[in-house]
Amino acid sequence: MGGKVTCTLGEVKNRADFIVYWGGNPAECHPRHFTKYTIMQKSRFLPRGRKDRTMVLVDIRETKSVKAADIFLQVRPGKDFELITVLRAMIKDQPVDDSAIAEIGLQRSDLEDLVARMKRAKFGVMFFGMGLSMTRGKHMNSAALLTLAAEMNAFTKFVAMPMRGHGNVTGADVVMRWQTGYPFGVSYHRGYPRYNPGEFSTVDVLVRGDTDCVFVLGADPGATMPQPAIEHLKRVPTIVLDPHVTHTSRLANVHITTAPAGIAAAGTAYRMDEIALPLRPAIDSPYPSDFEVVRRIHEAIRQKPDWRVRSPWIERQLDAAH
Amino acid sequence: MTNTPKSPELRVIDHATCTFCGCVCDDIKLHTDGNRVHKAERACVLGKAWFLNHTAERAYPDAIVDGREASLDEAIEVAAELLYQADMPLIYGLSNTTCEAQRECVALADAISGIVDSHTSL
Amino acid sequence: MLRIKGGRIYDPERNINGQVEDICIQDGKIVASVDEDAPTLDATGLIVFPGGVDVHTHVAGGAINFARAMSPEDHRRAQAFIRTQTTRGGIGGYAPTTFATGYLYAGMGWTTVNEAAVPVLSARHTHEELHDIPVLDKSLLVLMANNEILLDLLDTGEHERAKDVVAWYLWAAKAYGVKAVNPGGVAAWKWGHDAKQLSTPIDGYQRVTPGDIITHLARIVDELHLPHPMHLHCNNLGAPGNVATTLETMERLEGHRAHLAHLQYHAYGGDDWDSMRSAAAQVAEYFNASPHLTTDAGVVLFGDTVTITADGPWQHLLYKLTGRKWGNLDVENETGCGIVPYTYKRTNLVNAVQWAVGLELLLLIDDPWRVFLTTDHPNGACFWRYPEILHLLMCRDFRRECWNTFPDRIKQRIVLPELDREYTLLEIATIISAGPAKALGLNTKGGLAPGKDADLVLYSPNQDVAQMFSHPRYVIKAGQIVVEEGEIRSTPAGREIIFQPGFSPDVESYLRERFEDCYTMSFENYPVEMERVENPLIQSADPSGQS
Repeated sequence: MGGKVTCTLGEVKNRADFIVYWGGNPAECHPRHFTKYTIMQKSRFLPRGRKDRTMVLVDIRETKSVKAADIFLQVRPGKDFELITVLRAMIKDQPVDDSAIAEIGLQRSDLEDLVARMKRAKFGVMFFGMGLSMTRGKHMNSAALLTLAAEMNAFTKFVAMPMRGHGNVTGADVVMRWQTGYPFGVSYHRGYPRYNPGEFSTVDVLVRGDTDCVFVLGADPGATMPQPAIEHLKRVPTIVLDPHVTHTSRLANVHITTAPAGIAAAGTAYRMDEIALPLRPAIDSPYPSDFEVVRRIHEAIRQKPDWRVRSPWIERQLDAAH
Repeated sequence: MTNTPKSPELRVIDHATCTFCGCVCDDIKLHTDGNRVHKAERACVLGKAWFLNHTAERAYPDAIVDGREASLDEAIEVAAELLYQADMPLIYGLSNTTCEAQRECVALADAISGIVDSHTSL
Repeated sequence: MLRIKGGRIYDPERNINGQVEDICIQDGKIVASVDEDAPTLDATGLIVFPGGVDVHTHVAGGAINFARAMSPEDHRRAQAFIRTQTTRGGIGGYAPTTFATGYLYAGMGWTTVNEAAVPVLSARHTHEELHDIPVLDKSLLVLMANNEILLDLLDTGEHERAKDVVAWYLWAAKAYGVKAVNPGGVAAWKWGHDAKQLSTPIDGYQRVTPGDIITHLARIVDELHLPHPMHLHCNNLGAPGNVATTLETMERLEGHRAHLAHLQYHAYGGDDWDSMRSAAAQVAEYFNASPHLTTDAGVVLFGDTVTITADGPWQHLLYKLTGRKWGNLDVENETGCGIVPYTYKRTNLVNAVQWAVGLELLLLIDDPWRVFLTTDHPNGACFWRYPEILHLLMCRDFRRECWNTFPDRIKQRIVLPELDREYTLLEIATIISAGPAKALGLNTKGGLAPGKDADLVLYSPNQDVAQMFSHPRYVIKAGQIVVEEGEIRSTPAGREIIFQPGFSPDVESYLRERFEDCYTMSFENYPVEMERVENPLIQSADPSGQS
C-alpha cells in the first residue's frame, strides 16, 4: 500500500459535507451506508443532515444509487484513471487539454464545478468500490484515488475509503497484517511470511497449477473463479468448510459443515473502516464453528511427526542427550 | 448424532451484528427461537435474507468425504492428513468467517508452510 | 523452582550494585529461599538485571498495523523469524509482526511493555494483537486529550462528570492508564488545523484551551488514583523552538503528576528548520527541579524507520516535508493517527540535532529514576536498537566518535560534546527497568527482591556493551527460561495488566446519549468484554482490590 488518508465511518457521519461514491452502488450493495454512516445522518456539525451535504456519484452507468446523488458523473468505461489524473492536475491549477477531458466523456465545466466543490468542502470523503478497483487499471486506480485524497489536504480536509464487501474480508486483512506483516497473498514456504501478489494470490497459484492441496473456508471459489482455476481445484485434494454444501464442496474431497459466523457462531468481525465488532449468535447450530474445526485440524497435524527444522536449542538438547 | 428438539421459547437478541456486507451493522434486533431467526429488525434487505435463510436444521451431513457422508472426526483426520502430506498447500477464503477462525487459519498455514490468501487478492 | 547461583546482582531499588547473591524463584515469583534440592542455574560471573520495562512503545493496534501494511518493502529486507517448534514465523524490521515483537523484546531481556496510544474504539482490536505478542506482560494507555465528549465537559467546567467519563472509558477499553497526545490539536486536525498555543481556545470550543486540558486531565488522573500519572505527548512536537511550549506545559500541570513522553521531540530551540538547536539544557534544568515529573527520552538513531503518532497534523507536515507515503486515520470522537516512513540521516542538520538531544536529556537529567530509555518505537528508532543507545550512554568516547563525524555547524547547536557523564550498570538497570516500573506503578516489576515477579535477565560481561545487551545469556519470564544464548527456548503467554477505577453508575445513561450522537456502533458493543483479554491481571483503586 502506498499510503491512505482515511478515517472511521463516524467521522463521515459527524463532519463530511462532501461525499463522493466512485465505482460503487451502495443503494444495492451496502444498503444502509447512506442512512447509517453518510448522507442521511444529522450531526452537531451538520444539523440539517442531508441538506448540509453534497453527494457525487461517479460511475460508468446509471445505477439505483443515482437517485440519492446531487451530481452524477458518467465516466466512459475504463477511463477512471484518466479522470483521477485530470482532477489531480486541475486541483493544482495545471493546464489540461480538451482532448484529455473529451476522452473521459465529460465536460470541462463539470470538472471545474467538481474541483471547486471539493475545495470548498470543509470535510470531503471519497468512497471507492469494485467499479474502480476491479476494472481496467485495478489497484493503480485505487492508488491514484488515494493520492488525490491525500493531495486535497493541501486545500481542505479530505479522506478516502474502500467500500469493502464480502462479510469479514476486512478482518482477514487486519489479522494477516499483524500475524504476517502483509494483508493477503502470503507464503510460508520458507518458514516465514513472504508476500507477492501475482505469485501467491489464489487465482494465479491455481491457474499455474502450483498447489497440491487446497483448503477453502468462508468462500466459494468453485462458483466465482475462472475456469482454469476451477479445473485445478478439481485435480488436487480440496477441503471445504462451509455452512452449506457449495459448488466448491461438490468438487472437494472433504466437506465439513460449520455453523454460520455471526448467526450461529460467536467471535469478531471487522467493519470496512477496521473497527472490530463482537458477534452475537442467535441460533443453536448443530454444527461446530469454523474456528473449532480449524483448531482441531491444526491439532491433528501437530500430533504428526514434525518434518520441519527444529529450533537450534532443541537440536542441541537432543545432541547433548545422545 | 441426532437432532435434539429445541426449546420453542422466543428470545430477542439486541445489538446483533450482521456480517453480510462491509457495513457490518451492529444494531440488529433478532427474534429467534434458537432454530431460526424470525425477524431481523433494522436489517436491510440483504441482511434480512442473510439472517432468515440460516437455520439450526441439520440440512447437510456433518461432513462429506470422497462423496459419502462421514463423521466430523473422520473428516478432520482426512483433512489433516491431506494438508500434512501436501508440499504446497493453499488456504483460501477467510471472508465469511470470524477473526478467531482467520487467526487459526494463518497459524495453520504457518504450521504447514503453506500459502494463505483472502478474497482481497481477486 | 529455581536457584540462580553466584550472579552479580544489580537491583536499583535496594541499591545492590553488583554484589554476588543467589536469587530463588518459585511459582513465577522471586522468593527468599527454595528447597536445597531445587534446580540450580549457575550464574557465576554473570550480570543479573531485572527484566526490561518499556514505558512507551507502539506494538499493537490500528496504527502500527497500518504501518505494517505500508511497509512491505521493509519486511522484504527485515530479519526473518523462521517457524520452529516453539516459535511462529514472523518478520522484524521497523514494524514487526506481533509474534516477532515478542521474540525481539524477550530476546534482549525486556519482559514488560506499555502500548502508549490506543483509541478506545480500537481497544478490542488492540487486545487481539496483544494476545498474539508472546512472552511479554503488557499494558495499554487510552487516548483522552482530544475526546470530544470530554472536551465538551471541560469546556463547560463539569469536572466531576469528566472524571467519571474518563473512568468509564478506562473500564470500557480494559486499559491501564491515560494518554494525552497534542491536547486539542488532534481535535482541530479533524478540520485540517492544529493547536499550537496553550492558551488559545481550541477550534470549535468557547473556552477550553490545550492548557486547560493538560491541567484538568492530569488532575483527573490523580483524583482517580491511577497508578501511572497522565502520560503526556506535548503540543508542538518536533517543531523548532518548541521548548517554550514544553516549559509552559510543565507549568500548566500545576503540580500534578505527569509522565512526559519522548521528551527529545519537545526540546528544540531556534526559530525555524535552519536555526533549530538543542534546548535540552533548558528542559533538563526545569525538569530536574520538578520532582512530580517523569519522562522518557525518545532517542533518535540514524537509519530507516516509520513514524506513527496520534499527532495527525504533525504527520501531514512530515508528509509534505518528505514527499513519502502518508497514512492518516481519524477516529470518530476520539483521536487520529498519522503514519509516515522516515529516514534519519547524520548529514541532515535537524536529524543530527535530534540525535544529540535524546542523549543530552538522558545525560543532563540527573535522577535516573525519572528519565527512561525509549525511542518512542518506532518513531525515533526501533526498540531492538536499544543496546546501541546503552553503548552511547556508557561510553563517552563512542559518543565523540559519532558526533565528530558531524559538520561543525551542527556541533555549535548541541551540548553533547561538553557532557562527560558515563552511565554505570546500576544506572542502566534503573533507566531500563526499575525506573519505568516505578513510574508505571507496576510494583511487582523492575526489581529482584523477594515478592517481585521472576522476570530477569542474565548477561555475560563483555567490553562490547551493545553486544552484551543485545545477546543476554538467559532471559527468565515469570520463573521460566524463555531465552538462552540469544535463542527463544519457550514462549509462554504473557499477561495484560488492567486498572479499573470506580465510576458513578449514572455516567452510562449520560454517555449513551452522547455516544449515539457521535459514534456509529452500538453503545452495548463498545466496551471490550473482559473474557477477550489474555490472562488479565486486574488492579483497582478500591482498597479491597489487588492493587
